[in-house]
Amino acid sequence: MKRKIGVYICECGPNIADNVHINKILEAVSSFGETDDIEIVVKSYKLLCSGEGKEYLKNEIEENKLTHLIVAACSPRDHNSTFINVCKQTSLNPYLYRMINIREHCAWIVHDKEQATERAIRYIRGGLRRVLFQTELYEKKLDINPDVLVVGGGIAGLEVALSLASPQRKVFLIEKKEILGGYAALYQSLLPRQQEARQEVQLKIKEVTNHPHIQVMTHTRLDQMIGFLGNFEVGVSSIGDSGTATDMKVGAIVVATGFSMTAISNFPQFRVRDGDEVYSALDIEGMLSEKGQIVRRSGDAPKSVGLIHCVGRDERGYCSRICCNAMIKIAGQIKAQDASIKVSAFIRDLCLPDKMDQDFFKEVKAQGVEFIRVQDIKSDGLRVQYTGMDMHSVNADFDMLVLAPAMEPAEGTAGLASDLGIPLHETGFYQEAHQTINPVATATDGVFVVGAAHGPKGITDSVLQAQAAAAKIMSMLIPGEKIIPEVKVSEVLEAFCMGCKTCLEVCHYGAIVFDEEKSISVVKEAICRGCGNCAGSCPSGAIQLKHFTNPQIYQEVIEALR
Amino acid sequence: MSHGDNVLIVGAGIAGMEASLMLAKSGKKVYLVEKLPLIGGNTIKNEESFPNLECSTCMVAPIQQAVLQDPNIETMTLSTVKKIEGEAGHFNVSVLKKARYVSMTDCIGCGMCYDPCPVSFSNEWEENLGEKKAIYVPTAGSLPNVPAIDSSRCLNLTGQKECNACAEACMFGAIDLTEADATIDIEVGAIILAIGSELLDASKLTRYGYGRYPGVYTSMEFERLFASNGPTAGEITLRNSEKQPRSVAIIHCVGRDETGYCSGICCMHSFKHAHFLKHKLGDVKLYNLYSDICVPDKTYQKFFEDIKKETQLIYHPSFKSVSVDGDEEMLTVHYVDASEKKQSIAVEMVILASAVVPGGDAKTLAGIAGIDLDEKGFLASRNDRLGAVETNRDGVFIAGCAEGPKDIQNSVIQAESAVGRVLTCLSANSSV
Repeated sequence: MKRKIGVYICECGPNIADNVHINKILEAVSSFGETDDIEIVVKSYKLLCSGEGKEYLKNEIEENKLTHLIVAACSPRDHNSTFINVCKQTSLNPYLYRMINIREHCAWIVHDKEQATERAIRYIRGGLRRVLFQTELYEKKLDINPDVLVVGGGIAGLEVALSLASPQRKVFLIEKKEILGGYAALYQSLLPRQQEARQEVQLKIKEVTNHPHIQVMTHTRLDQMIGFLGNFEVGVSSIGDSGTATDMKVGAIVVATGFSMTAISNFPQFRVRDGDEVYSALDIEGMLSEKGQIVRRSGDAPKSVGLIHCVGRDERGYCSRICCNAMIKIAGQIKAQDASIKVSAFIRDLCLPDKMDQDFFKEVKAQGVEFIRVQDIKSDGLRVQYTGMDMHSVNADFDMLVLAPAMEPAEGTAGLASDLGIPLHETGFYQEAHQTINPVATATDGVFVVGAAHGPKGITDSVLQAQAAAAKIMSMLIPGEKIIPEVKVSEVLEAFCMGCKTCLEVCHYGAIVFDEEKSISVVKEAICRGCGNCAGSCPSGAIQLKHFTNPQIYQEVIEALR
Repeated sequence: MSHGDNVLIVGAGIAGMEASLMLAKSGKKVYLVEKLPLIGGNTIKNEESFPNLECSTCMVAPIQQAVLQDPNIETMTLSTVKKIEGEAGHFNVSVLKKARYVSMTDCIGCGMCYDPCPVSFSNEWEENLGEKKAIYVPTAGSLPNVPAIDSSRCLNLTGQKECNACAEACMFGAIDLTEADATIDIEVGAIILAIGSELLDASKLTRYGYGRYPGVYTSMEFERLFASNGPTAGEITLRNSEKQPRSVAIIHCVGRDETGYCSGICCMHSFKHAHFLKHKLGDVKLYNLYSDICVPDKTYQKFFEDIKKETQLIYHPSFKSVSVDGDEEMLTVHYVDASEKKQSIAVEMVILASAVVPGGDAKTLAGIAGIDLDEKGFLASRNDRLGAVETNRDGVFIAGCAEGPKDIQNSVIQAESAVGRVLTCLSANSSV
């Protein structure tokens, strides 16, 4: 079939026209196509990105019946999408077009006009050669399932479910325990206004349980997952004897599995024996909820309480963000119970990152709580030994000690991460897709992580993250609308695949599977993000990245260097 | 499109841009109103963002491009909201769009208009460390890549002289000095206020010597000094001497007592700055004077542990005890240590990690939007615990540093959360 390539050189006003010999480029390019089956149309135009310029290009494509298009102009960053849109208004497939940068990569940086001209010619000729190897590619539209699976029924999971559930979108909520509410249901009061915790959480639990579009399955865990965004198939089963298995189809999965805490008896520098009046901050929350006050096992109140912050911070390698506030709250509650109780808080750093935290700290300090900054600290039973910032060593005895241990990933995090194909951060919490600009998504499109499962955080931040993930799902999976997966994906050429599985190791998205029968790798197009790692690592060159194939790249370079 | 498909977002920083893209993707029409001539907010003022020290401009550029090219997002720069009337589902908003004097469609960003302009003055975006012309882009790489004319400085626009130097230099006839400010009325169903924050004016805290001694810098001034597209092209040279400092003290918690809160991000950027200095200058003596190490994300403590080897950590128990004096050449940082002894260190440069405070326009905007400010002057949320992005006015939401000091990650999370609330609000209030 005769190929007719249109090459349009944009003068970009003086930017390109003043710095290269346009007429020499026109001449050099038109001589490229002197063969039987390739015809070149090459023209220059003042400003292709203008309204008139785009109309001009559109007419040129149609009138000349172009089969391929090259635009030699500014950076693709500025206008690649402009000219893709022009192609879309014609019968020319946008993947048979290529943009060549002769402004930022040429006219603006090469100060010798002859050299700039030669470079521009080489770039354009390279692009011409490349475009001949390009093929038509078409967007696919996939039906999606708007339903969502939420794993974990704590405050974050409850919030996701309530944000999403609607007549057009069903939510499945699975929880490994027999009750909903997670840790938040165990707290006695919530900061900063010290609202009653249980009541608020119970309201949410009730709303979720009675919701017509949320199906709650307690005492249930996830077994396996296959599929991709919009089309996941998940298997869950009930924990315990019956082990009833259920399959479900969903479009997205939100992991809200919360956190766990190491028992305080696990820290060798804080010796705790059975019967010692040494508690974790969580124990105290429970005690306050049940009894309304703190008491020793004997039934009477302590005369002095020591609070030790940052237990496990060094071992785990991170600050757990909420414990300073939680301990300050407890200190305040003890003082409110009885102002004569001596309360000493041993701190390393005060972590008060939210705008109302410092006021709260000052309030509690004003009630007579002593805050002692330490360089190091240990305890044996009820005796605390510490070194202050002035380097002096001190012993202090108390009637009761409260330790604030680090928040850690929930049990089963590693297993679930593996089932869902999402990586873990080095701290053991789930790794988000991007630290700053994509913090609730993960490497697996359609799988989100929210709440303490993502990293230590309190209820406010867990709820915000939950709402954020819900919003992402609302904007990505619209009931009744299809999604368009990435077009420029990898494909495996069967004949060349040796079955070495190198590609499986380098794919971070789980987009490649191995066909044991044929002993070859297969790319799952709907999951592939087109990063090209597999194509680059394949020792037999069996994997090609569409629109960036080896011949395309190779031919462009060869021609440019000819 | 009806009210119910439109959303107003005020502020084109990271939170505003993220919210715009998500709403546009959901099929909503977004009016993105930004007071500056460029989009990107404060994130793009940092060369690198913690904790990964990724190039901020590289990270944000695809987001900026996506915003500017999205057919569902109408970006209005040099614009501010003047009036908001109505209720959730049906707001009528008046926007004042100041004249840019340069056509957004005809200008191709060639930059030929800058040289001929005879007026030069201090560039506020570059923290007054550099100059700009009356026709300017705030910094190299600004998006949109179209200059604006400062009507208070331009000789022609202030009536001082019949100057047309820029218009004459423009090959595309893109400059129009007759352009007028415009009032644009829009109808929206919901509003997100994402106007960001500022740093406390360090000159107000006289004990730190900012403004008195040339060697004392704010953290944002240092960011621009370090930036490769900044006024010194990334060279760290002192204001008056143009020499590289051989010793630097970074003071944390500046203004923490006065504002009454920890700003949550300054320990991190202070260590980041120590790291930059070490890498750029090599042989430099560094000190970080801190009261608490605030590293509340799962990745932050490791960042701190790695960098603390490059600097000397100095603990001082009281923010108020730190002061700076000296002269043009040398500075002395005074503080009281843990044993209550007075100490001092001599350095050539001081960087002040100032508190994050509400933007200067927060109060005005809160008044226009009919929402409360909290005790610290930030835009107030209805229920901190379970509704941080909701305000006391239905249909009006807040996100990012406008709500309170936070890092980029949490600004983005709040923006996404606000989008969810907006989508729910729009469908709840849409006419059937």
